[in-house]
Amino acid sequence: MTEEENGTSEGEEGKAPTEEAPRIGVFVCDCGLNIAGSVDTQSVADYAGTLPDVVWAGRQKYTCSDPGQMLIEDMIEEHDLNRVVVASCSPRLHEPTFRGTVERAGMNKYQFEMANIREHCSWIHLYDKEGGTDKAKDLVRMAVAKVRLLEPQEETKVRVETTALVIGGGVAGIQAALDLADSGFKVHVVEKEPSIGGKMAQIDKTFPTMDCSICILAPKMSEAGNHPNITLHTYSEVQSIDGYIGNFTAKILHKARYVTTDCTSCGDCADACEQLAPNEFDIGLATRKAIYIPFAQAVPSQYIIDMNTCLGTEPIACGKCKDACEREAVDLEMNDEVVEIDVGTVIVATGVDVYDATAIPEYHYGEYPDVITTMEFERLVNAGGPTSGHLVRPSNMKTPKTVAFIQCVGSRSLKNGHPYCSNVCCMNTIKDSLLIREHYGRDLKIDVYYMDIRAFGKGFEDLYNRSKAEGVRFIRGIPASITEVPDNHDLRIVVEDTSLGRVLTRDYEMVVLSVGMEAAHDAEKVQHLLTLSRTSDGFFLEAHPKLKPVDAPTQGVFLCGCAEGPKDIKDSVTQASAAAARAGILMGAGEVTVEAITAVVDEDLCTSCGLCAKVCPYHAIEVDTKAKTPAHVIEAACAGCGTCAAECAFGAIHQRHFTDQQIEGQIDQATASKAEDLVLTFACNWCSYAGADFAGVSRMQMPPAARVIRTMCSGRISVDFVLRAFANGAPTVLVSGCHLTDCHYINANQQTLKRVEKLWKRFDKWGIRKERLALAWVSAAEGAKFQETITKMSEIAKTVTAKEIKETKDIIARNYKFKAEKMARARAKKAGADPGAANKAKAKAKNGT
Amino acid sequence: MSKYAFFLGCVMPMRYPGIESSTREVMKQLGVELFDVEEFSCCPAPGVTRSLQSSTWLAVAAHNLVAAQEAGLDIMVVCNGCFGSLAEAAHMLNHDKDKLAEVNKVLKAAGSKEYKGKTNVNHFAVILQDEIGLDAIAKRVKHKLDGMNVAIHYGCHFLKPSAVKELDNPETPRILDDLVEVTGATSVDYRHKQMCCGAGGGVRANTPDVALKMTEEKLNYLDEIEADIILDVCPFCHLQYDRGQKDLDRETKYPVLHLSQFYGLAFEMDNKLLGFNMHDVPVDL
Amino acid sequence: MFKYGISGFESGHYMGESVYKPDNTFPQQIVERGGTTLLRCFQCGTCTGSCPSGRQTAFRIRKLIRWAQLGIADKVLASEDLWMCTTCYTCQERCPRGVEITDIVMTMRNLAVEAGYMQEAHVRIGGFLAKTGHLLPLKEPMMKARKSLGLDETPPTVLANKKNQELVLNIIKETGFTDLVKKGGK
Repeated sequence: MTEEENGTSEGEEGKAPTEEAPRIGVFVCDCGLNIAGSVDTQSVADYAGTLPDVVWAGRQKYTCSDPGQMLIEDMIEEHDLNRVVVASCSPRLHEPTFRGTVERAGMNKYQFEMANIREHCSWIHLYDKEGGTDKAKDLVRMAVAKVRLLEPQEETKVRVETTALVIGGGVAGIQAALDLADSGFKVHVVEKEPSIGGKMAQIDKTFPTMDCSICILAPKMSEAGNHPNITLHTYSEVQSIDGYIGNFTAKILHKARYVTTDCTSCGDCADACEQLAPNEFDIGLATRKAIYIPFAQAVPSQYIIDMNTCLGTEPIACGKCKDACEREAVDLEMNDEVVEIDVGTVIVATGVDVYDATAIPEYHYGEYPDVITTMEFERLVNAGGPTSGHLVRPSNMKTPKTVAFIQCVGSRSLKNGHPYCSNVCCMNTIKDSLLIREHYGRDLKIDVYYMDIRAFGKGFEDLYNRSKAEGVRFIRGIPASITEVPDNHDLRIVVEDTSLGRVLTRDYEMVVLSVGMEAAHDAEKVQHLLTLSRTSDGFFLEAHPKLKPVDAPTQGVFLCGCAEGPKDIKDSVTQASAAAARAGILMGAGEVTVEAITAVVDEDLCTSCGLCAKVCPYHAIEVDTKAKTPAHVIEAACAGCGTCAAECAFGAIHQRHFTDQQIEGQIDQATASKAEDLVLTFACNWCSYAGADFAGVSRMQMPPAARVIRTMCSGRISVDFVLRAFANGAPTVLVSGCHLTDCHYINANQQTLKRVEKLWKRFDKWGIRKERLALAWVSAAEGAKFQETITKMSEIAKTVTAKEIKETKDIIARNYKFKAEKMARARAKKAGADPGAANKAKAKAKNGT
Repeated sequence: MSKYAFFLGCVMPMRYPGIESSTREVMKQLGVELFDVEEFSCCPAPGVTRSLQSSTWLAVAAHNLVAAQEAGLDIMVVCNGCFGSLAEAAHMLNHDKDKLAEVNKVLKAAGSKEYKGKTNVNHFAVILQDEIGLDAIAKRVKHKLDGMNVAIHYGCHFLKPSAVKELDNPETPRILDDLVEVTGATSVDYRHKQMCCGAGGGVRANTPDVALKMTEEKLNYLDEIEADIILDVCPFCHLQYDRGQKDLDRETKYPVLHLSQFYGLAFEMDNKLLGFNMHDVPVDL
Repeated sequence: MFKYGISGFESGHYMGESVYKPDNTFPQQIVERGGTTLLRCFQCGTCTGSCPSGRQTAFRIRKLIRWAQLGIADKVLASEDLWMCTTCYTCQERCPRGVEITDIVMTMRNLAVEAGYMQEAHVRIGGFLAKTGHLLPLKEPMMKARKSLGLDETPPTVLANKKNQELVLNIIKETGFTDLVKKGGK
């Protein structure tokens, strides 16, 4: 770093760090009535015009529209603006848009800043126009303070590996893999079961067109199995994924199958085998051998030994299968192995599990043999199933004369199962009712108990009408209980027909529980592999619910199928193709630009203490503490969390675009707020800031107390920042970030926790009320938690008196030395040792004023 | 030796005193010391009192909790109704400071001591299972009841509302079945085992015929299986089944035993102490 | 038969059908007394199917909840059905929406009593409580029976101690219950 730059980075209040005097334009957006409805945008714009260095300020109806963007370009040219603030929606939505706008007008896009006066203001203060307007002014003032100090940056590009990893080999994973493979990319598909195919392979027919499920899936399965660009890893698990967009490394565990690829699936081995186990594919309605192939159409068509069943209580395998195999494909000595692959993109297609109906005791599932679930029904009517497609009562193996379906089992319930609608069960039951009709005619009576029939898709209502026309009775009412009539296993249902208000007692020979879907039981593991987020219902959260529906919040990762939410086959396939297209765009380009937010070391100030290297989650900093050589950042490895900058006690390492001076500028302006219940809030880009956005999108109302300062990671929040806020007079400070296991920078938020705990200890010692500093882990889906936290903190803030604030200021002044002071001392010392530099700095200071 | 304030309630001491004498003797044999508290009144019954005016219900329940508090004891009940009132009131007052303050205002105005929010209320079946334990009970069984088919009636306010009671799954509980089977008897399963006897909620008082119809429905389920007796843990359910069978004039009649009387049998207590002569359905076992 | 009232209409009859004027404060009253879950109900009928009383009578707990949601207070408060609930809690335990149905029934009963609706039998039993501190009277033969079992003739409760009895009767009076049962109801 040159002396000149060195001198300027001190960035005193109101002074620009670059040669060029700041000329700031502020564009306040009405967003129709979204903002203007509860914020007086004109007065915000008028106020912005009074701020130092602002040369143009105005308001527009829609800043993101073409005319809106054109105005920005025109004003940049007309007023020679070199910095722009747009006060509108969340930067997570439109920062890329406006960065593009200012770039087109010849500005550096890093000298642009947004004030989020929609999600963080107008939408959450719908009924408090005065409070909302005051808050919007504060937010604009904070943005102006930051933009004044922003420096131009150059972005670097990284290469994108043109291989994709697809996790999950159900229909969604298969489709995504085929689309990518057909586009010329290499694809690795990892499936935990011995065969690909997923849940769709188990279903009999599909709605609304009644195609045979396996008949339409099997060709796709074998295509995936034979595709030159696709490598299948079945009976495998992803153990770890490291790296970042374009450059992931995945470790995949191949569990031992004990049968080699020489297997021709002739079945001689299974004939010889004497050990039995329940057949998982048939939901335990039939048995299989210890050496088995999951189902006839399995891909790969290769047997597998279930060692637990094979051995039973014996210490060694009997070896009969080995003897029976002519190809010598049985290898009882086979071991698990781990392979490592490099991929540029990852598609998560991990699917769902089925709700366990034993949780509803009044239905006696698992106890009464003739109470079955949807998946069991599918196997019972499937020609490839245990009864060759004959629907029979498990209790006596005879075809039932009456069947009842009960809908919403485990769905739409705050008590049993899940609060959401499982999306497919209504149509699945309607399809099943028609299947029964097809096979057994009208002699078999069918009643469907439901509370709402949701037949919203293309062709769905037609199918519903067909079922009704076929004499299937739809009765609106959810049965309260099923009891088994003594002696004959008939099932007695008590239910209110709510449309008549009559209580019915009806006997059936079979009851099918239409169970819903729930998030895959290993979703949590996948979540941690890729630092994804999940919504409260357990499904993976998309980057944007409307506009980025298949992008995960982690760049380079995409979602499809039921992993993202319950959906039918058509929607899963559609989403899979979308995810493949999104991944293909990245890999097709072959490179991706990385935000210029990496860390930079000021070698003059570095004492080579090594703290920064210690806290870096990416091992991206090298420092030799013995040789006392200054720290060095490996830029390609740096992800830009800023934890190092927060940790350094000497201000010797800073994060581009999120420097101490820039953030402190925001803090100073936030604490200048007139709000008496001020909650100065630090939020990380990925979780808590997004959670606050989510609260806004959901219109969760709260007091206009929060002034949010966004950093990439909560690990960027230094002790200095918090204490500066309190020293400035803030009644309360909230530090928020991702949940501890969900940090987007591996584990940088552990540092956040440490720092806040250290601060609490100091507060205890100093006699500052601890509850004035709060720490909250808020995920991107936890808008309600953000609302709750701010509401609570605002109440605490109101209890802080002017006297208490004054005392806090004195305490901090007495007990704490800020980094800025230390840096000034270090510089003075350096200057003393090098008078030339001191003179230069002095001259600079003169010119600057 | 554990000690409890023995909460009598109304139905047991004034309609089925045999349950009271059995309970006193059974608990004595199992090493539980029971104390009488002359400040105890009606719990008061949830069906009528709470339905009419919940503030009265809460205040009188609090009065009983205070009585135990002053005696320095936790409460033991042998009636689901009393359990419903006292346990729910205690749950409410021990967790909600505003409610507690409100009730204490009433108590104070009436000249009573205030409730501190600490009294615990225990159903005797829970004391039997958790504190005394099945092993200790088994040791006391002198007369093995092998071959006796027992239709257990749990009653409603023992386990429900489950969010307050948190004792056992109210749809598929085991607690009474285990306590019955420790004597060698068999707990028989039957349809709608968890159904109400029909008496609660003020229904027996207001529309006795409706209450009786529910009792009849439940008895019909018993007819589907082989049951020798009905076993309850609530004198009010006990009364509904015992008197109800007389009023219904059914062919098959099931003797009705409270768990304490049932244990009296198994422990070979003096039959006179069990008070079977005061039952409408003869108990001849 | 009925039609939902429209704001501004009085309760009465229209084209031969009953018209009820909704009272929007009614569901609010229930909510304020702790029945916040009332508004969650989506009318699936699990409650009615679970109701032992509903299998014997015309009582439909689901409908009662619906009337309450809609604010048709008359249909709830004057209803005989309101008193058919045995408070067995089966509906509340099974409700998929977590509606605290039984607790809400008791709240609605309180409101009915306040509106002057009380069942004769309950007035009578309530009278015992206000007079003795117990819900049942103690009679001579029972005292003898107690003695035969080795128990105190008078149960060792407030019945055995005048001073204690006075205190509990004071508490009952303090809550207004004594006057309430004296006054009786429709």
